[in-house]
Amino acid sequence: MHDPGSQLAPSPIKDSQPGSGDAADYTVEVPKPRTPTGSYGAPAPSGGRIWPWLVVVAALLGCVYSALSTHSFILRLDGQTHAVACAILPGDADQSTGCVTALLSPYSSVFRASMWGGIPISLPAFGVFAFLAGFAAWVGLKKDRMRVDTGFLLLATLLPVGASAFFAYISATRLGEFCSTCVGIYIASGLGFLFALIAHIRTPRTPDGVGRWGRWFLWFFEGAAIVGTLVLLYVMLAPSDRESVARGCGELVKREDEAKILLKKPDPAEVVGAAAKVSALVVVDPLCPSCKGLDERLFASGLGGRLDLDVLVFPLDSKCNWMVKSSPHPGACLVTEAMLCAPESAHRVLEYAYADQARLLELGKTNESALKADLEQKFPEVKGCVGSAAAKAKVNKSLRFAVANAMPVMTPQLFVAGTRICDEDTDLGLEFTLTRMLDRSSSVQ
Amino acid sequence: MGAMIIVKHLVPLVIALAVPAVMVSGWLTDAEARLAVEEPRQSKAITATVAEEGYCTVELKRIVRRIAGACGLLGEQGRGCRPADATKVVSLQGEEFNALFLPLQDRVRIIQYDMGAAELDEGALRAVEEAWADRGGASFFFVVSRASPEGSVDKNRELSESRAKAVLDHLMKRFNDPDIERQVGLLWLGEEFAQLEDKFCDWKRSRTGEKCDAKDINRSAFIAWIDCSI
Repeated sequence: MHDPGSQLAPSPIKDSQPGSGDAADYTVEVPKPRTPTGSYGAPAPSGGRIWPWLVVVAALLGCVYSALSTHSFILRLDGQTHAVACAILPGDADQSTGCVTALLSPYSSVFRASMWGGIPISLPAFGVFAFLAGFAAWVGLKKDRMRVDTGFLLLATLLPVGASAFFAYISATRLGEFCSTCVGIYIASGLGFLFALIAHIRTPRTPDGVGRWGRWFLWFFEGAAIVGTLVLLYVMLAPSDRESVARGCGELVKREDEAKILLKKPDPAEVVGAAAKVSALVVVDPLCPSCKGLDERLFASGLGGRLDLDVLVFPLDSKCNWMVKSSPHPGACLVTEAMLCAPESAHRVLEYAYADQARLLELGKTNESALKADLEQKFPEVKGCVGSAAAKAKVNKSLRFAVANAMPVMTPQLFVAGTRICDEDTDLGLEFTLTRMLDRSSSVQ
Repeated sequence: MGAMIIVKHLVPLVIALAVPAVMVSGWLTDAEARLAVEEPRQSKAITATVAEEGYCTVELKRIVRRIAGACGLLGEQGRGCRPADATKVVSLQGEEFNALFLPLQDRVRIIQYDMGAAELDEGALRAVEEAWADRGGASFFFVVSRASPEGSVDKNRELSESRAKAVLDHLMKRFNDPDIERQVGLLWLGEEFAQLEDKFCDWKRSRTGEKCDAKDINRSAFIAWIDCSI
């Protein structure tokens, strides 16, 4: 049909002879389109040959960042805490806060309730960039590159651009910070699109030919096959046998709240009626970022609405907590006092503390009086109580609830129907673990 | 020829699939292996417990236990120990008894009273509340009250008992805490046992800044949480 040897011929005129190109007509018989100058399958201008290769470079850059994200995610499947790769350039200062936030957010993976951790969204991104790199390399190798090729390449690069725009919006509006590797992916997506656009513009205009849609469908299928195969491989190989999910990590031994220090966490959605809810206890420090993360994941997952949730405040601040020798969260004792001073406002104090954690932590570290004044100004009902002997005594009672139940000295912790969810199951595995524990509790009830 | 064209198209795509597939499957296999080694996992966090400070010597804990048991906290026989009981309970000389509490200097507050009186003044009320709120991880709150040697032994015994009970009454009134019943031990010593030396005037007193001598410091109740697991 075609002479592949002709593709090696140096003369572009010879290359452009009918039947000499490799324009993917291995599936559909397509007459070679005629270029405006009258030749068939005319090659791109010599200056235009570089652009598909620049798309390859951008796609490979996207591969690197999405692979780093995927690797960080998979590392956590063993239930341990690992450093998160989070530098835009090798040797850059590690800015892992944003990457950890993104990794642990509900937006880092899908199908979390069906498999532990779910499928990381960086995995299909890895597949898409790999496909783009392969496809762009093929376009770059073609001597008789046509607009049907570059048009598909351009369209394909729109996918990561669209996804990047969506996740950049999520980062800005929901997470409040950007992870460096994510930004790397956004940049790679933008560059890929830009280079594909130039490659397309620089490719001579040719008639579409009858097989354009067929080819595009086929190439789309090829891309989908790469992504699908990676996802399938992930589903098959991801660790699934987890003892922690089945047995939990301890039980509450003394559930009675004699001192009345447990606070109610209202359900913003009221998804199910009170009778259908399962009793749960969350142990938090109002100035602990992980507690804020757990709270967000719990309610973003929709599972929080199935819990009749009590809150035990456990400040990790040596000012009131004798079990910690330093203060990981300075000021947490004062915020806890404010919560216990006005139990009916406690959830609002907690929301305020979560929303403004960095500033309150800084105040707690440098100027406790200013923190106290801030709390009293925001919540006048706690005025005169915060800092009092009665408030301190309540905080002490709250800490003693943890002692009575021999809880680990850490936050956050989540108990569902008296069983403690293991620490390794409270971040990526939360939805999966909680779904199973709730189902078990519901069947027992 | 057609096959060659197909191969030329497919080779980059096969590479595009193979490289991520090999990487991802390798990472997943490693994760599974690590998970198998780690489970079942023990939490690295310490367990929440009551405090146990370095000064909690065997001797101190023995005495506190005996006070708690013999003076009514662990049984139903009534609260508080009289001086006669106290000497039996602690089985120590007065100086040895006082020496046991020296490591608690930062924790102790000395509530001072007027001569012949058992009422708590404003400073005393505040000091009692602060002492109670400054509980930390302590398990046992003791009130050891005394009287200065003026007056009769019997009168001073009654006076020191009233002083200890004034502290307890205020705690119950102010905090309404069921733990008060279980965790506050009273020991009233009158003038008969373990009188304080004037060096205790340097400790945290409810009448800081006022004149203090050996008589003043014994018109008092010595209160503190003990950070020991009793």
